[in-house]
Amino acid sequence: MVATRSKSLRKMWGQATPYLLILPVVIYYAIFWVRPVIAVIIGSFTDASGVFTLQNFVMVFSDENFWPALNNTAIIVLFSVTIEFIGALFLALLINRKFFGSGIFLFLTLIPMALPAVATGAMWITGLTAHGWINSLLYYLGVLAEGEKIYWLGGIEPNPTKLLALVIIIDAWQVIPSMMIILLAGLQNLPKAAKEAGYVFGGNFMTVLRKITMPMLRPTIQTAVILRLISAIQIWLIIVLLLGFGRIPVLVERIVYYHEEVPGLNISYQMAAGYTIVVSTIVSLTALVYLRVSGAFKKEETA
Amino acid sequence: MNRKVNKKIIKAAKDTVFYLFLTTLIAGMLLPVYFIVSLSFLSTREAYRYPLPLVPALKTDFELTYGENGYILSVWDRTDKEYQTVLDTNEVEKMEVYIKARLGTKITQEEIRAEIARLENSGQESIFFTKPRSLLYNYDTFFKVTRDAVPALIRSIEIAALTILISLSIGGLAGYAFARYIFKGKDALRFSVLFVRMFPGVAIALPMVFILAKANLYDEPLGLSLIYSVGAIGLTIWITASIFMGIPKSLEEAAQVFGGSKLQAFMRVTLPLALPGLAASAMYTFLGAWNETVAAIILTQFKPTFSVVVYQTLLGAQGNVNLAAAGGIAMALPALIFTFFLRRYINQMWGGVTV
Repeated sequence: MVATRSKSLRKMWGQATPYLLILPVVIYYAIFWVRPVIAVIIGSFTDASGVFTLQNFVMVFSDENFWPALNNTAIIVLFSVTIEFIGALFLALLINRKFFGSGIFLFLTLIPMALPAVATGAMWITGLTAHGWINSLLYYLGVLAEGEKIYWLGGIEPNPTKLLALVIIIDAWQVIPSMMIILLAGLQNLPKAAKEAGYVFGGNFMTVLRKITMPMLRPTIQTAVILRLISAIQIWLIIVLLLGFGRIPVLVERIVYYHEEVPGLNISYQMAAGYTIVVSTIVSLTALVYLRVSGAFKKEETA
Repeated sequence: MNRKVNKKIIKAAKDTVFYLFLTTLIAGMLLPVYFIVSLSFLSTREAYRYPLPLVPALKTDFELTYGENGYILSVWDRTDKEYQTVLDTNEVEKMEVYIKARLGTKITQEEIRAEIARLENSGQESIFFTKPRSLLYNYDTFFKVTRDAVPALIRSIEIAALTILISLSIGGLAGYAFARYIFKGKDALRFSVLFVRMFPGVAIALPMVFILAKANLYDEPLGLSLIYSVGAIGLTIWITASIFMGIPKSLEEAAQVFGGSKLQAFMRVTLPLALPGLAASAMYTFLGAWNETVAAIILTQFKPTFSVVVYQTLLGAQGNVNLAAAGGIAMALPALIFTFFLRRYINQMWGGVTV
């Protein structure tokens, strides 16, 4: 009897093990994530004196920069995620061929990922000013005549399309490597036999890619895209580094703007909290929709 | 025979095209990096010339003549291809300071006096001389002039190390559970990585000011590493789970058959095998903590991190972009070294877990 009791105890202990292992994470998230999140949620639903109100959201939605911010964010997300995915997949397929020197090529493509945001900011600011290295290079290449300059960041009439395109290109430059390594890991873990069979049965590169590689790579693609989607909606730092606040308003930039730039106002904390909730809701909904449409939930049910 | 040769030629041609394509691609990708590196070596005078010189100069050419106030010092301008007057003075000290600070060139007062003597003895109207550049001048100045750069550097390393410690111990346990056990809430754990990221990090940092202040951790390295760990733990769970999945469970079971306890089996068999992958995961965490700027700006005051110092140089030093560039490069260097080692572990890190 003692033996069975200790056995059942051991069994219980065995069942408890995974929960004990994840307990620290749960506690940690509760203290350092759930607590601040709840603080922001409460802040978004109360006024300066702590009374429940929906006024904060009314203020957010009637902020003259809200709709442009939403619009700009949507454009950036749409284009940057698409461009980054295509670029990352292309690079991953290339490096996966394992040619001579592919290791060093991989390292070189990873460099943009390793650069700190401030270094990237410094790099593009010094490049995009009228006297910067981009214009200098174009001059040396003969594209620009002497005395002729392209005003990348300004000009007489600021053109949001041009600035948005710049932001998207710069973001793609920095982000493609981190997306690429996820896709590359997925590619390297695919069984070679399937691909080889595709070629044996007469498929060319494109059909094998489309019919075999891509479907098998789907879980990895989902991972890469969802991580990117979540952070693309929250893009702001490079925009502020390049253009300052307010020229190309985006959603998270508004949070920082209200908190850091207009801290004196008694509505600024409420505005920042309101914007935070709006952004988080948008991110969650987008992630949910993407996961549903791409079939990530179905996979779980069958697994 | 002929066919063989033909095949070889075709292959060689294909390879050439392929590598040409790769080189172009890399050159295009790394062009901006090249320019920021080049800028970090340029002298302050040249950093503001347009068009910007494409490569940093290794030496500076001078012309010395007589002027109204003593001597006129001119330097060769690589943009306009002519000597341009920069100083008209008879104070040797002034010349020395200008040559060092604005031209990033090595010179001593004795050397300047010697050149002046040479001008006077020669009987000519002007003389020319060349001095080597001190290429690391901007880096040197960045660390000397920027208040706090060195302590901030040490602080950043400390923060990154603490973040690794926290996230690897807490996240590693969960990653192991994820790889080895089936339990309720596994999916919740899997999605928690995404969940944590859905709430803007900036927005978390704001209420954290109060929470950390209450715990006396505001403006402390530990406080910042606690914040960084929130994001890092999620990724560590994914990466460590991926690593442990790659180590067959049967090895652990075999160790248990030979009389080891579960813990012993883990410590003696699984952990040594996982070590390289865990190191890679730690490097990944290091990159994140080292490069982070925004939370660091919000959550530090008198004890900034290195990234904050670089950020402030960038904002404050509108007159000295080459200094900011040097700071940025100094910051990027450790990150680049870690990335170099990381590239081999991509498969181990990202191969296992997906959404």
